[in-house]
Amino acid sequence: MKFTLIKDLKSDTLMRPLLSGLLLFILLFLMADVLLKNKLIGLTPSHLSQTLFGNEAEYVEPATEHFLLELLHGDIFFMMMTLLTLSAIYARLCQNSSLRMVNINAMMISALLTLFFLPLAYYLSAHFVMPYIIAFYSWHILALFMAIASLYYLFIPQKSDL
Amino acid sequence: MHQSYRLAVIYFTLFGLLLLMSGAILFVEKLGMSYESISLFYLGSEAQFTQPKSTFGLLETALPHLGAMGLFVFVIGHFLLFTPKKEKARAIVPVVLLFIAALLDIISGFIIIQGWTFFIWIKLVSFFSLQIIGLYLLFLVFKSALDSLLKYTKR
Repeated sequence: MKFTLIKDLKSDTLMRPLLSGLLLFILLFLMADVLLKNKLIGLTPSHLSQTLFGNEAEYVEPATEHFLLELLHGDIFFMMMTLLTLSAIYARLCQNSSLRMVNINAMMISALLTLFFLPLAYYLSAHFVMPYIIAFYSWHILALFMAIASLYYLFIPQKSDL
Repeated sequence: MHQSYRLAVIYFTLFGLLLLMSGAILFVEKLGMSYESISLFYLGSEAQFTQPKSTFGLLETALPHLGAMGLFVFVIGHFLLFTPKKEKARAIVPVVLLFIAALLDIISGFIIIQGWTFFIWIKLVSFFSLQIIGLYLLFLVFKSALDSLLKYTKR
């Protein structure tokens, strides 16, 4: 997290390509996560319900508790590392402090909610399937926005730079 | 440090708490909390028709954990670089112990399947240490980030 200490990230010859590369990987990670989750558990209410609760008509077994726990455990780790890094970069590059706070809070809260909604849907009620999907897409869209905005701030001169 | 960065650190500690919790649930669900259940998990049982774990099978779990746990401890520990001297000094021993506990937790399975059943106790102790020290460090980081965020908002 050395970049949190460098005063002018944009003019640092090494920091700019380093951060651009990292942001590109974060963008790809976010897109790959959507594709993988869509294939693995489904990101539509019917597909996700079928994965969690099974479907007798189509001979689909419900997901095991173990599968769900391992999925969540792995997700938590990757989410915490990716979102922390992305927030730190965005916090340094975005000049609008209220927009920065709103985006970071909204992304983190929706990401945390996905971790509660999925077990709630599995153990408690199918009503949590839709909130899970909404929270999932919300944090991905916000994170994508923050990554793209960070790239923009990194390469396009802002008023404060002039 | 930016207040939004402190906010991200606070969220990080919440994710860390969930990570430790889900790890504990998985441990209880897969291995159990007793000497017998851990022995059964690693060494199998003829009576219950369960196979002992293979080195390759353990490696599949150990590999992501080696990367993830090292990074996790490093990231928590490095946040304490930004804290006052007193808290930083308080964190040195727990950080070192956390690295050792994580390593023992990962490698003890390999030693158990070689017949060194004493390492079942090491596995249990290292797992508990990992959880307790991890929680302590997360608490230190959380408290420090929250204090400075509150100080900043009062200004």
